[in-house]
Amino acid sequence: MAGTLSSLNTALTALRFNRVAMDVAANNIANATTEGYARRRVEGEAIGAPAQPALWSRYDGVGGGVATGATERMVDSFLDARARREHGAQSYLDVRAGVLQRVESGIGEPGDNGVAAALADFRSGWHDLANNPGGDAARSQLLARAETLAGALRNQATNIATEQSDQRYRLQAMVSEVNTVASDLAATNANVAVAKLNGTDAGTLLDQRDQLALRLSELTGSVASVRIDGGLDVTVGGVALVTGKDAGSFVISGGVTPSGGDDGQPVSFTVVTGAATVAVPTGLRGEVGAVADLLTTTLPAYADGLSAVARTLADTVNAQHAAGYDLGGTAGQPLFSYNAADAAGTLTVVLTDPAAVAASGVTGGGFDGSNADLLGVTGPADGDYQRLVNGFGTEVASVQRLAVSQSLLTHQVDGAREQLSGVNLDEETVSMLQAQRAYEAASRVMSVMDSVLDTLINRTGLLR
Amino acid sequence: MTTMRVTQNMLSDRSVGSLQLGLSRLAKVQEQISTGRVLNRPSDSPTQTTAAMRMRSSIADQTQFVRNAEDGVGWLGVVDATLGGMTDQVRRARELGLQGASSGTTSQTARDALATEVEQIRDGLVAAGNTTHLGRPVFGGVTSGSAAFDASGSFVGVPGEVNRTIADGVKVRVDVLGTDVVGPDGASLFDDLDALVLSLRTGDTAGIRTGLSALEGRLEDLGSLRATAGARYSRVEQAAQRGRDAVLDLTTSLSEVENTDLPRALVDLKMQEVAYQAALASTARVMQPSLLDFLR
Repeated sequence: MAGTLSSLNTALTALRFNRVAMDVAANNIANATTEGYARRRVEGEAIGAPAQPALWSRYDGVGGGVATGATERMVDSFLDARARREHGAQSYLDVRAGVLQRVESGIGEPGDNGVAAALADFRSGWHDLANNPGGDAARSQLLARAETLAGALRNQATNIATEQSDQRYRLQAMVSEVNTVASDLAATNANVAVAKLNGTDAGTLLDQRDQLALRLSELTGSVASVRIDGGLDVTVGGVALVTGKDAGSFVISGGVTPSGGDDGQPVSFTVVTGAATVAVPTGLRGEVGAVADLLTTTLPAYADGLSAVARTLADTVNAQHAAGYDLGGTAGQPLFSYNAADAAGTLTVVLTDPAAVAASGVTGGGFDGSNADLLGVTGPADGDYQRLVNGFGTEVASVQRLAVSQSLLTHQVDGAREQLSGVNLDEETVSMLQAQRAYEAASRVMSVMDSVLDTLINRTGLLR
Repeated sequence: MTTMRVTQNMLSDRSVGSLQLGLSRLAKVQEQISTGRVLNRPSDSPTQTTAAMRMRSSIADQTQFVRNAEDGVGWLGVVDATLGGMTDQVRRARELGLQGASSGTTSQTARDALATEVEQIRDGLVAAGNTTHLGRPVFGGVTSGSAAFDASGSFVGVPGEVNRTIADGVKVRVDVLGTDVVGPDGASLFDDLDALVLSLRTGDTAGIRTGLSALEGRLEDLGSLRATAGARYSRVEQAAQRGRDAVLDLTTSLSEVENTDLPRALVDLKMQEVAYQAALASTARVMQPSLLDFLR
């Protein structure tokens, strides 16, 4: 038979366990809206017969109460890995869509104030001049329209250059965030390992670890794997960035100068760990990957397209202009000039004298308008520009669609994580009530035992 | 989606998410209505954007062609009227010559008077040859000067064509060169009239008859020139009308591509509004109760 006082001890274990259960419920409720908090659950374990009682003896008790087991964090490491991947893809698309939309709104097509409208005005300026080759007003108007056209092209080129420079600064800020987060994660890894060893509850540290790893994935599309000591190892593009308690440093190795300028190279990164420097392959995801792609491919492609339009326009107009004669009868001088390195950004009207516009197709200074008429013909620049805008619009539309469908997936994965890890207040209330009732019942057990012992000790043998 | 557990956070996240979605749809329709355009940026529809840009470019071109044609109509109108006036004057000169040619009935005094009148007509014709349109002599070719003929009637213009582009790649000549109207210097209408005046003054009836037949030829030339100018006039006028029609058609098509179909957008707006209100109401209901409301 079990000892007389063992029931008291059983009640005591119940009191202790239910205290912990109420603490856990209270903590869950307190953290119901904390970002990155995974709900906890305390495991109770029934204390039964020892597996190996003493030699030549047997255990004849009915159980010794409840032992307070480990406090479990309700997470699924596979879901977490999935969430990191989807968040990396999501932030890549979101950043890309945001920047492209901003650039797109600066294009102003289709509308009355874009480059296409300026081109049409420019052409009609030549026709007006052809109708009235002697008129000073028509000549001045043509020069003004040429200036408007060059201004519209320069404006777009400046927009893109500004966006590129903004994105370079942004990339630098992001890279420094990557390094901060990576070193925080390494420090957290070290703490987790220590907590695991000395048996402290590592729950909060693990929440923090998962948060940091998620942020790192959002920034770089990095992949994390769980270490045996409870930490997370992180690789960026296959290159190890965080290994246990050590974090490498993520460095921009090309494309952006330390002062935020453009060095003309594609954007590239390396990870420096101690003495080793490893190049990160291209094709990163996350915000950093998005900005790198924008700076290396997308924005330069549009700027080049715009420059090609400006070059074609200036070359065709200048060539046809040179074939004509101005009011004084001399052959036409170039109307536009540009710097071949950045045609759209440097396109300027060099002709300032209205009389120098070569409207005439014949020498001798007559009022002939045949060259102006030829200059008013739609050149290839118009079609090129339409194709460029169409291509860019298609790209923006496609990125927007991708971002929307990716957000459905991301939400779904987030929902699955929330299903597992989220705090449900009703559930917590129920478990708090359960613990409360169990606590009351256990204390009742104590008072019952007390009165039983009272009977046994104080009343046994008394006859009254 | 089968959901095992639902948490308050999930509810609030989903509510906020769907409210956001409803609001963004509402904003999209609202933008279409307030700007009156469905194409506000290229990504709204890249293909339609290209179509719209092409149409805008065509509208600008056609408008310009109409302007060119209207300018051409002005030129050809002046040319036609001037040629008409010149024909009348040459006819009058011929009548005067006929009077002078009847040797039996006309005295030399009367012939002198006729000669003076023919001289006047000649001067009038030189003035008519210098008719200008917007400061440019219509018979002067591409001259930058203000006259096609000097006082003696010799051509001082610069040979060349004044053309107007009335459609893509279609040019029409809107002037007539002075030497085509009166003939080359030395054998021009003015020289014929000078000869007629001389013949009238000297009473040379044979000379008068030669002059008369020359004027006959001039009248025919002027008539055919007028016919050509008239044909061009109507061609240019038709082109202007065609251009105006094209601008109208293109503007209509552009509006179909670019502009908001208002009734549809308003119905859309109403629908999105209802959906948004429903989402708001359901959120308000879902967020309130918890088990704590029912526990005592």
